[in-house]
Amino acid sequence: MPKIIFRTKVGKSHEIDATVGSDVMKEALTHHVEGITAECGGAAACGTCHVYVDEATLARLPPPESTEEAMLDFTAEKRAINSRLSCQLRVTQEMDGAVFTLPDVQF
Amino acid sequence: MNITITGDMNGVPIVDADPFVDDVLLNPYAFWESLRNIGPVAWLSRYGHYVLSRHDEVKTVQADWRTFTTTGGAGISDIRKPGHHRPPSVIVEVDPPRHTEVRKAVNRVISPATVRGWRERFEADAHELVDGVLARARFDGVRDVSEPYVLKVFPESIGLELNREQAVAVGDLNFNAIGPNNERVAQAREKVEPFLAWWHSSIKGETVKAGGAGEMLFKLEANGEIPNGLAGGLVMTFLRGGLDTTISSIGSGLWLLAKHPEQWELLRAKPELLRGTFDEVLRMESPIQTNFRTTTGPTEISGLPLEADRKVQLLLGSANRDPRKFADPYSFNITRDATDNVAFGNGIHACAGQLIARLEFDCVFKALLKRVKRLELDGTPEHRLNNALRTLNKLPIKVTLDA
Repeated sequence: MPKIIFRTKVGKSHEIDATVGSDVMKEALTHHVEGITAECGGAAACGTCHVYVDEATLARLPPPESTEEAMLDFTAEKRAINSRLSCQLRVTQEMDGAVFTLPDVQF
Repeated sequence: MNITITGDMNGVPIVDADPFVDDVLLNPYAFWESLRNIGPVAWLSRYGHYVLSRHDEVKTVQADWRTFTTTGGAGISDIRKPGHHRPPSVIVEVDPPRHTEVRKAVNRVISPATVRGWRERFEADAHELVDGVLARARFDGVRDVSEPYVLKVFPESIGLELNREQAVAVGDLNFNAIGPNNERVAQAREKVEPFLAWWHSSIKGETVKAGGAGEMLFKLEANGEIPNGLAGGLVMTFLRGGLDTTISSIGSGLWLLAKHPEQWELLRAKPELLRGTFDEVLRMESPIQTNFRTTTGPTEISGLPLEADRKVQLLLGSANRDPRKFADPYSFNITRDATDNVAFGNGIHACAGQLIARLEFDCVFKALLKRVKRLELDGTPEHRLNNALRTLNKLPIKVTLDA
């Protein structure tokens, strides 16, 4: 099981054992990680599961599909170069060690 | 129901079965089960298309627009082919890069922040309607609750006004047209005829009311911020996608909860289960039961080869009752995790309005939960038959209120 880390801006970390094949948003909810709202349930339609991805992980991720790309402009906290919607990120073994920084606000 | 296999197409079973006859539309469960057990994909010889009935395959195809495009149309016929030609829906039936541009326009006018801003109005309307209805001990869950509520709050948010007759006529044709050109389509065409002039004239910049999403779209179009013609197309899409589906889900929710008093009791005790209840209702009674994709080239699914340029029918309702995915799929259980149901779609064409659908469901049921102790059926519910839409026509309800 890959370990993935959710981190708040003030440096509080929450490390979880993620399930391969699941998605990062769902793993956050399952493990009660605070700061992921996921209002729409995982369809890239609400922008409330926004995360900032560490550089190494970001480079390995497939680029955002059209819907995620369009939604990223509407996140509550400003989009950065490493912004992704965690509902669109499939957990893989290679994701081990990934760090997802949580925005201060999701809506 | 036994579906007979009559041959195979490179290993894909060929079956002569019809998903669009009255009996199957009304009670599709045995038909679906039989199809699911035949295999991950079958070829329907009667219509000449592939059909998918299991959860994993349906979800995979929904998410893969490159291999399974919507540009051939969301229905049974390929809208790019002679004899079936019609302009594509401006958002549902386009792929990237155009789709990305359109989706951005949609996000601007029904952004999560905008929709959150609607809550107060949606809640007030729900309370007013529910209080009126509960003044009687007996009412109809569809005519008195789901239909008037959705027809009040949603068109207003877009900046339009329409009555039940107009909404039903437009919705019936819209969803019947996903299926084959049968008697149901012919009847729906006839019924919509008197409203066509109104339909086309109401979807113009001058006629939409101020303050709604429609006005915002026409303004963006006038300022050249979104492509010409998109505003009207999107207003049409909002009405097509946002009325019948939410009316269906609120009606089905009332029906399922009335049939399962222990679930109502549980929901009363734990109102935080309401969000999951919505997913479970969509799983049990998927408003859109079926739609189509088209293969963009030769491909395969679960190891079986599919030919290029063929329609692929997705049985969403069947996928949502696939025991390979959902344990005990026929039981209505508001505590289960039904979030992976395929009713809203997946990938780039996943429903853009689902926040609104969730908001409407939430407001109506919160208003009811506040006052209704017992919710019961008061007669036999009836469905309104449609080639693709699962919705109730009649739902007699009896309530006992808190003292």
